[in-house]
Amino acid sequence: MLTALATLLSHYRRHPGQLAMLLLGLWVASALWSGVQAINASARDSYARAEALFSTGLDGLERRDGEPLTRDDFLRLRREGLAVSPLLEGELEAPDGTRLTVIGIDPLTLPGDSAFATGGGAVALSGFLTPPWQTRVSPDTLPALGVASHEAEDTKPQLDDGRKLPPLSLAPALPPDTLVMDIAAAAALLGSGETLSRLVTAPGALAAAPRGLVLTRADTLASPGQLTESFHLNLTALALLALVVGLFIVQAALGLALEQRLGMLRTLRALGVSGRALVGLLALEMLVLGLVGALAGIASGIWLARALLPDVAATLGSLYGAGVGSDLSLPWHYWLGGLGVSLGGLLLAGSGVLWRAARLSVLGLGQAQAWRAGYYRQLGSMSLAGGLCVLIGIALWGWLSRQPAGEGLVAGFALVAMLLLASALWLPPLLALMLAGLGRLTGRKPLAQWALADVQLQLPRLALAMMALLVALSTNLGVSSMVGGFRLTFLDWLDQRLVADLYLRPPPAQFEAIDTWLSARPEVDERLATRRTDTTLVSVDTGQEGGSRTLDVPIGVYGITPGERLRPSWPLLETLTGREAAWSAFVKGEAFINEQLAIGQGISPGDRLTLTTPDGPASLDVAAVYPDYGNPRGEVLLATPWLAKRFRAPPGSMGIVLAENADEAALRQALAARFDLGRDALRDQREVKQIATGIFERTFTITRALNALTLGVAALALLASLLAQARQRRRQLAPLWALGVRRSRLIRVQLAQLGGVALITGTLAIPLGIAITWGLVAVINVAAFGWRLPLHVFPGEVVLTLATAVTVALLAAALPAITLWRTPPRALLAEEEAS
Amino acid sequence: MRRLIMGLALLTILALAGCEGETPTTDTAGFAGLGADGKGFAQALPGTPLRFPEDHGAHPDYRIEWWYLTANLEDEAGEPMGLQWTLFRQALSPPKETPPDERPAPGPWVADQLWMAHLAVSRGERHAVAERFARSHSRDDGGQAGVTSAPFQAWIDDWRLESRVTEAQRDPLSRLELEAMAEADGDAFGYRLNLTAEGPLVRHGEDGFSQKTADGQGSMYVSQPFYRVAGEVTLDGETRSVSGRAWLDREWSSQMLEPWQTGWDWVSLHLADGRKLMAYRLRGGRDEGRGNYLFANLIGPEGDSTPIGGAEISLTPLETTRMADRDMPTRWRLEVPSHDLDLEVEAPHANRWMDTAVPYWEGEVIARDRESKVRLGVGYLEMTGY
Repeated sequence: MLTALATLLSHYRRHPGQLAMLLLGLWVASALWSGVQAINASARDSYARAEALFSTGLDGLERRDGEPLTRDDFLRLRREGLAVSPLLEGELEAPDGTRLTVIGIDPLTLPGDSAFATGGGAVALSGFLTPPWQTRVSPDTLPALGVASHEAEDTKPQLDDGRKLPPLSLAPALPPDTLVMDIAAAAALLGSGETLSRLVTAPGALAAAPRGLVLTRADTLASPGQLTESFHLNLTALALLALVVGLFIVQAALGLALEQRLGMLRTLRALGVSGRALVGLLALEMLVLGLVGALAGIASGIWLARALLPDVAATLGSLYGAGVGSDLSLPWHYWLGGLGVSLGGLLLAGSGVLWRAARLSVLGLGQAQAWRAGYYRQLGSMSLAGGLCVLIGIALWGWLSRQPAGEGLVAGFALVAMLLLASALWLPPLLALMLAGLGRLTGRKPLAQWALADVQLQLPRLALAMMALLVALSTNLGVSSMVGGFRLTFLDWLDQRLVADLYLRPPPAQFEAIDTWLSARPEVDERLATRRTDTTLVSVDTGQEGGSRTLDVPIGVYGITPGERLRPSWPLLETLTGREAAWSAFVKGEAFINEQLAIGQGISPGDRLTLTTPDGPASLDVAAVYPDYGNPRGEVLLATPWLAKRFRAPPGSMGIVLAENADEAALRQALAARFDLGRDALRDQREVKQIATGIFERTFTITRALNALTLGVAALALLASLLAQARQRRRQLAPLWALGVRRSRLIRVQLAQLGGVALITGTLAIPLGIAITWGLVAVINVAAFGWRLPLHVFPGEVVLTLATAVTVALLAAALPAITLWRTPPRALLAEEEAS
Repeated sequence: MRRLIMGLALLTILALAGCEGETPTTDTAGFAGLGADGKGFAQALPGTPLRFPEDHGAHPDYRIEWWYLTANLEDEAGEPMGLQWTLFRQALSPPKETPPDERPAPGPWVADQLWMAHLAVSRGERHAVAERFARSHSRDDGGQAGVTSAPFQAWIDDWRLESRVTEAQRDPLSRLELEAMAEADGDAFGYRLNLTAEGPLVRHGEDGFSQKTADGQGSMYVSQPFYRVAGEVTLDGETRSVSGRAWLDREWSSQMLEPWQTGWDWVSLHLADGRKLMAYRLRGGRDEGRGNYLFANLIGPEGDSTPIGGAEISLTPLETTRMADRDMPTRWRLEVPSHDLDLEVEAPHANRWMDTAVPYWEGEVIARDRESKVRLGVGYLEMTGY
């Protein structure tokens, strides 16, 4: 038995290229897959910790006028019997520049049994409550503080400004970059005096907000886990694609290795090795190779995840405010899972090979390429399977179009997957048809006829590599078009929304004074005040009979000043009777809604909304829908004065439009001299845009990186599978050379063969890629984020796709061609004799 | 003395309550840390003078202190009810021992006192319990919880025990109003009561110094056992008019137990002949070779104390009931042969377990003559450290 195994494996000693290709396939497939899974696992761990934190699971109270609550408010409410607890939140900069969230709690009044446990285990409460207090911190925050984990307990890290944190106490359950301490310690550290960030209560403990306060229910705050689900699904889908492409290589390599060993297998059978034993040995061989490949893959996957995680963390932080540690933390099942998926995929890819080996006919000697005969039948079943995929895709689309928008993210991905699968399955039959057609067209050109016939002969093996290439090329085109389109739209939208020259965020108490002061300044042309608050969308009425629906969803209300500068540029997607009419209705108190709300709740212009306000329900007519990229929530837009009057929303930021030739620096100086504003209170437009664009660019860094990697894998697949057959190809070329065809001509023929096939594949990838872009922007994006993007096609990307396909194919063809060039004719003939 | 309940290691114990699934650090310093070293605090000693009304207020220089009220009530239909309201104070750091840089400077949230309050209402098999916690600074009178002596007010959040005395010459505790309401599973429970004392304050032990160990550890211990009560009690959302008797204990100390004393049994009785009886047994002590330290005070109808030493009294469990994974004695024999008392003290309802951060048993009892089974009075029993 061992001899038989050694004999089987000896094949790879003679063909190390095939072994390399097999391992390469396994390696890249499991590397990308496990890399992404490592990122996901790490992020989910962070979310779970964040959700367990008191600040997320509790109802919150803040003052309606935007002023901070104080200790007196806390005491007054407690004396009224309300079970509120004070919470103080602030930010500190760690010595390495990381922004740390400081949370000050009062464990004595904090609701919930597990609340204090969140802060860490059985440390005596007196240590927490009394000087020098304690800083509860999770171990993955230690590097930011410049503290080694073995010396962490009781260290007092010093900040750059000389302030010292209370002694550290490790609490692994806390989210990253979060410091939890007693509220007295936090107040001293942040210098916040008697003020609070908010009061918290157990969920549902208060039936209504006490007078003058706004109650934010815990269940209306979307948890980071929910918000970021689409992001992770996106990553997972890309990783799955990489896994599939990698497995294409594996299957190609396994098929080739089996085909070349058919003679050996028959000999073994003839020598008395049973068919079952043979299959077992092949499976064992696969398992060993699989283990080596998968372990290498997982190791590289972790390396990849380490490299990508900082970007992922930054993206999630800026998009959703979800803190994700930039250190990997991997549960044990991650390792098993990665191994399982890789081996499972390998088995799936290899099942065909094993099945063929099991049905091996001992007498079929001499028929070197045993399954060629059935290839046309196989093409038929591929067409059928492809058709089935198309049908499933159409069914999914039909189902999706009837779903309420914002749902069906998984179905959306399934639709795109079906599209890809159908195209991949149809590729070989299509190639075969085209080759047959071309064969008829070539007429009496023997070499061309030979070339076409030869490509047809190569097709079974070439097809797999081409399928992988098609999938990778079209996904690449689709994703890069989506990202590019998003970028264009987003930048446009930023330009339209950010019309003021300066943006000021004054303290609520100073707002009126600053506003009055600014109105008298000659430099200021227009002041664009905003306000923001939360409310509940109670119901929507379409005006038709039975058109009233009760919704009860929490939404945001945003107030803008519809002035001369804002109105022409603020983008609107849909209006009832045109832009002008919509704006005049808006000024009169009608509302605009963002696309997320329109799609999510099925609301269109002309509908009437009922919202809760401090004075009871208020009805508002919808005049238009506007795009609101990057906002996860539904939002109603009103003119600022209405928001102040009806919703008693606190003053927010203010856009300052400067007069022509105004002296911006002078205004800044005068403002700073007159009012005590913080460092970050005044920003100019360029700065705001830069920040927004920065966030955007980081968002897609990972998508781009994974995308490029997938394409790289597909190119490798093609290259590897062609290189593996190079020797065999030489043998087929030898007779032609012997018949007098010059070697340079032979090489050109070869290049034309592969380049042609790759060109056909690349051309097919273009419509497919555009279809995928459509699926991403019109289906998946809507389901994931609640907004639609216009479909952009970038000719540059299309050209790049074609060029990639052909370059890879030519490269793959060139290497065997060069060896052919160098091989002495005698050797070629000798090879032909040997075969 | 009095139910030394927990005050003390409020601290340690709160922290334990918060650490689900982790092994609690064993506290060897007596029940709830009451045996912890009182260094740096003022000490309760024999001869410590008592001054009222000042001593009705808080004593932040002592480690622990409580205002402890129990009442045996009946509604208009004669159905018995019981209630408890307690405010515990615990100092966070010894005022004399803490180095200056670690001593809490009065800041907005800086605390040197920790407060814990318990509310319980019992009727038949029902036993509703609530607890609250707060912090305060001894230099701040307007905190979330606190006790002031003039006018007398003890409060935590909206729970409060306040004096209704207006005449300067009368003891502030002689007329009180108590209000505390809580909610469990959407049903309110709690009380609004008026308390009128029909007798004077009673000083236990040696003119108010109550010894708790053979080595002389103890506490300052004063009671007002003569309250008549009228008011309203709410349970399961239903409010009833009630009347009956109440007993208020005031006790403060810095080291109450020896570290090896594991807990205590304490009983207060309103006897039918107008006398009151208070008795306690501290378990795990070393004195008299019996391992327990006993003491009682038989109070006459006019408030005259008769201290009864350990040799003259016995307190023996007769029957236990299994609850919360332990056996709690719910029927006792209480003998004071020198005063011809041989009582059987029994809890008519065993389920008076206080499932609070510091768990213990506290409930109504009926006292009968052991021979004749004639009912001689009602009262409250407290058992800790089981």
